[in-house]
Amino acid sequence: MTKKQKHRILLTAILVLTLGVVQNVNAMHIMEGYLPGGFCIAWGVICLPFLWMGFRSIRKSLNENRRVLPLLAMAGAFIFVISSLKIPSVTGSCSHMTGTGLGALLFGPGAVSILGLIVLLFQAILLAHGGLTTLGANVFSMAVAGPFVSYGVYRLCQKGGVNKRLAVFLAAALGDLFTYCVTAFQLAAAHHADVSIGGAFAKFLAVFAPTQIPLAVIEGILTVLIIAALETYAKPELRAAGFIKEER
Amino acid sequence: MITIDRLCYNSKLRYVNAGEKFAFSVLSLCACVLSRSVTVSCFVLIFMGILSVWKGGIPFSCYLRYLTVPLVFLLLSSFAIVINISHTPLDLFAVELGSIYLTGSRDSLMYALNLILTALASVSCLYFLSFHTPMPDILNVLRKLHCPKLILELMLLIYRFIFVLFEVSHAIRVSQNSRLGNRDYRTSMKSFSAMASALFIRAMKKSDALYDAMESRCYNGDIRVLNENFPPRKAEILWIVIFEIILYGLVVIEKF
Repeated sequence: MTKKQKHRILLTAILVLTLGVVQNVNAMHIMEGYLPGGFCIAWGVICLPFLWMGFRSIRKSLNENRRVLPLLAMAGAFIFVISSLKIPSVTGSCSHMTGTGLGALLFGPGAVSILGLIVLLFQAILLAHGGLTTLGANVFSMAVAGPFVSYGVYRLCQKGGVNKRLAVFLAAALGDLFTYCVTAFQLAAAHHADVSIGGAFAKFLAVFAPTQIPLAVIEGILTVLIIAALETYAKPELRAAGFIKEER
Repeated sequence: MITIDRLCYNSKLRYVNAGEKFAFSVLSLCACVLSRSVTVSCFVLIFMGILSVWKGGIPFSCYLRYLTVPLVFLLLSSFAIVINISHTPLDLFAVELGSIYLTGSRDSLMYALNLILTALASVSCLYFLSFHTPMPDILNVLRKLHCPKLILELMLLIYRFIFVLFEVSHAIRVSQNSRLGNRDYRTSMKSFSAMASALFIRAMKKSDALYDAMESRCYNGDIRVLNENFPPRKAEILWIVIFEIILYGLVVIEKF
């Protein structure tokens, strides 16, 4: 065997091993301790205005109607459970939804930012996905950026008169993809050893693409199916959550 | 259902004051993240492991299995850090692909390894908190830290509801499986979405019922639960202070 061949075999082995052990594909939570201190604080500060907005909106709707509190709590638990259930995936590895796109469509992005904060904290403590120091970064990518994009895309599609199912699909899938891009950017900004931030960004995007792009598509399809089922069976509940209100 | 939740209720350190555990793990976590040095990480990783397994009574195999949870993420992102595409080969390895090289440098490999070690050490700090402290105790600590009441109340309710919804989803899953609901890919997609929507409807109904139940028991805007109180012990505080002084001493030595 020549040296070149050896290298190639080594490379393929590494590739296969890293991609093959992917038994548990999560929606890219940045692990505990993976970001340097400065970045943890910075991302946390960036989240604050959004969280404050969400807090205000929740408090306002609570003052109008106390019944919203258990509803919101159920919504949070729903997001947690949905995101921790195994979804059917093509490759046989087990993967999870983010669920925040669905949450943003059902409950609005403001409420989801606070619920997402709580859900991410629980995921860190109960499931060891994500972490305490990286909470700020994860909240920004999953509970702020993703849901706002989902909601924005959905609203735009509604205004543009796009087919509702397509709108829901685009909202969920694009929200998911945006979350993945933001996470890759967060990683690249913190860790670019040899290259510029742009190069590191491209590398992180490329490494996580095989798991995240199919996931976004599956999440989009599932969200469409879930919303369709809900519209068939649960009109009054959807109205209570505020999803169909604007159409009346 | 949630293994960590079961573990922390069975932990031998469960009845240690929650504030102590919280302060201990968060301070050590900060030391790991701030220093990012090999010595500090190894020290924390080994010490937390010994403490969790020996003092806390977490089964060793279980602890090891949980340490591998973040491994996939760590491997993939280290992969992204180490491997470069450039026109000039770097010093560690280089694979030729036409005119460009898939290459990596020694520095970036060391950087990635250091990062993995730091992450594992931080995760072990997080585990010390979550393996030995039940969620209601953590909420109590947050209450003492003046976290907004609305958020605490939401957290308490969400924590309760998670188990309710898990039970419902598990029952649905079992009945779907027994009716060949996950026979192939198409049916499993359909089953999953059916389950999610049924779960949503159940969640809404239950939240309504819960509000009625709370209101009939004079709910007027805040939920009060009886807290079990375990006062901090002087010896434990002393040990924690000694450990943190050593740890931060190491951090200072490593940094300067």
